[in-house]
Amino acid sequence: MAWRNIWRNKIRSIVIILSIAIGLFSGIALLALYQGMMKGRVRNVIDSEVGHLQIHHPEFKKDYKPEFTIQDGQNILKRLSATPEVKLAVPRSITAGMLSTPGGSAGVQINGIIPEQEYLASQLRNKIIEGNTFNPEKKNQIIIGKKLADKLKLSIGSKLVLTGIDSSEEIVSAAFRVCAIYQSDNAPLDELNVYITMKEINRMLKIGNEFHEIVLILHQDNLVDTLSKQLSKLFITAKIETWREISPETNLLVKTTDQYSYIILVIIMLALAFGIINTMLMAILERTREIGMMLALGTNRIRIFFLVLLETFFLTFAGTPLGIVSSWLVISYFNQKGLNLSGMGNEMMKSFGFGTMIYPEFPADKILNVFLIVFLTALLSCLFPALKALRLQPVEALRR
Amino acid sequence: MDTVIDAHNISKVYNKQTIPVYAVNQVHLHLNRGEFTALVGPSGSGKTTLLNMIGGLDKPDQGNIYINGRDITQLSANSLIDFRLQNIGFVFQSFNLIPVLTAKENVEFIMLLQKVKKKDRDTRVKQLFKEIEMEDKINERPSKLSGGQQQRVAVARALASKPQFVLADEPTANLDSKSASNLLDIMDKLNKEENITFLFSTHDQRVIDRARRVITLVDGRIVKDTSIVSTSHNQDKLNY
Repeated sequence: MAWRNIWRNKIRSIVIILSIAIGLFSGIALLALYQGMMKGRVRNVIDSEVGHLQIHHPEFKKDYKPEFTIQDGQNILKRLSATPEVKLAVPRSITAGMLSTPGGSAGVQINGIIPEQEYLASQLRNKIIEGNTFNPEKKNQIIIGKKLADKLKLSIGSKLVLTGIDSSEEIVSAAFRVCAIYQSDNAPLDELNVYITMKEINRMLKIGNEFHEIVLILHQDNLVDTLSKQLSKLFITAKIETWREISPETNLLVKTTDQYSYIILVIIMLALAFGIINTMLMAILERTREIGMMLALGTNRIRIFFLVLLETFFLTFAGTPLGIVSSWLVISYFNQKGLNLSGMGNEMMKSFGFGTMIYPEFPADKILNVFLIVFLTALLSCLFPALKALRLQPVEALRR
Repeated sequence: MDTVIDAHNISKVYNKQTIPVYAVNQVHLHLNRGEFTALVGPSGSGKTTLLNMIGGLDKPDQGNIYINGRDITQLSANSLIDFRLQNIGFVFQSFNLIPVLTAKENVEFIMLLQKVKKKDRDTRVKQLFKEIEMEDKINERPSKLSGGQQQRVAVARALASKPQFVLADEPTANLDSKSASNLLDIMDKLNKEENITFLFSTHDQRVIDRARRVITLVDGRIVKDTSIVSTSHNQDKLNY
């Protein structure tokens, strides 16, 4: 009966069902877009910024002092490389320094890398937009970020001086020539990070063949926490950190974005709730006499309440499959083809660490919550019309 | 005689705060099982108000109404709903069938509320549609039925719950002569064959002609209560 009742006024019901479908489509598309953006951001963080896990001397990150190299680093690196869960274990020597040119200077993080390994760990080679990677035949080459290059007006072949403090706390400098300019999806990091070979930085810092950081890339993302615990027990002189600890802002962003998405979905559904309330109130008003008759015949008020409740639920849930299926189809398409958001501003997206090509993901794990929101919307929407129906007195209702 | 309705000194007053209007004024009414009674009177005489109070749809401001010995004026609103469901059948002037249900479903509706088993419902529905001579229209929606057919379905619905009595408020008001005559034939037959008590409020002379007791109401008071000995029309009317 409730199902038939919603089709008494077909156009009105179709309009409200479609609006629920469109609302749900928008909400789910938003969830998918955010999920895609967040997944892209996390992938960036893991694949090209910090890796899954990092190992340092426990004191190193406090002041980036060169003497705090990883104790017994070579041995640890060897053992990590042999760990089955580990896909890549890549060492880095790092120091904070000053990059100077005749035109200006900037504080930078100097990363000493083993090029072939680094290309795999942070995909540095893929990010190069100008020039060539390190040439083994040449010395004192440096790769800098586009943002830094633009800021200091540097180009391929430009000369610059790197200044830092070595392990005996002496100021050291060396001249380098720009061999390549890279651009990642994280402009602030592009401005900060410069890359030279590990051999050259180790010579500058006088740390022999030691290093400050081991970046671990694992075979699977979900191994992070268990392996982190295992390694912490295994290498007690080193500090093991997960990408979440190294990049807490990304972790926070992932968590809060989910909440924001739900808030937006709730706002959409709340707006739709007014439409549903209006439709149901109209339906009750049109059927005042009929409800009066039902009360007169002996239909108790609980049944009347449930009739209104069911009608509201049918009206609300009729649009739900349409919204979910249409959003799934559109999201699946863009998940394959990608959604290019460069129109929103390439620089803006990169300044927040996001790529411009987003691959939205259908939030299958959140569909239950979406249903819960729809359920609560229906419940909320039916209350006022149902109370209105319950207040009807049969004699008065029959007179109308 | 088995008393079905016993109303004692009932009154209903509107506009109590300003100028009180007595819709029903100190009415005594006694109906036995199997009576076929018409409640007549001019518009505003209180027929519908009296019918509503007897049907438990409205409460009197004074007096008591006993249905099968039970005082319904003392029942709560929820108890009254249940009481109506089990004891009273209603037929309304404008049929008031549920438009989204078929004729059969409209009749079944009451039995569903009474939680009657499907098998028993089917038997009862079949029997009722046979009695109202509409077996061929059982699956039609009300919109496909004529006014007379809709009112016959409404009578079947009123009887579906096997009530103590049926209250019919102007049941023929919206019907043409032929439909009204058919409807009255059916109600007359049900009254005689199944001893079902009917109380009509009506203006319609056709109903008055068929009634075996006519109660006249003027300004909320019973001014005449006439029983007819013979079932022949307009014969042997007795005045009390």
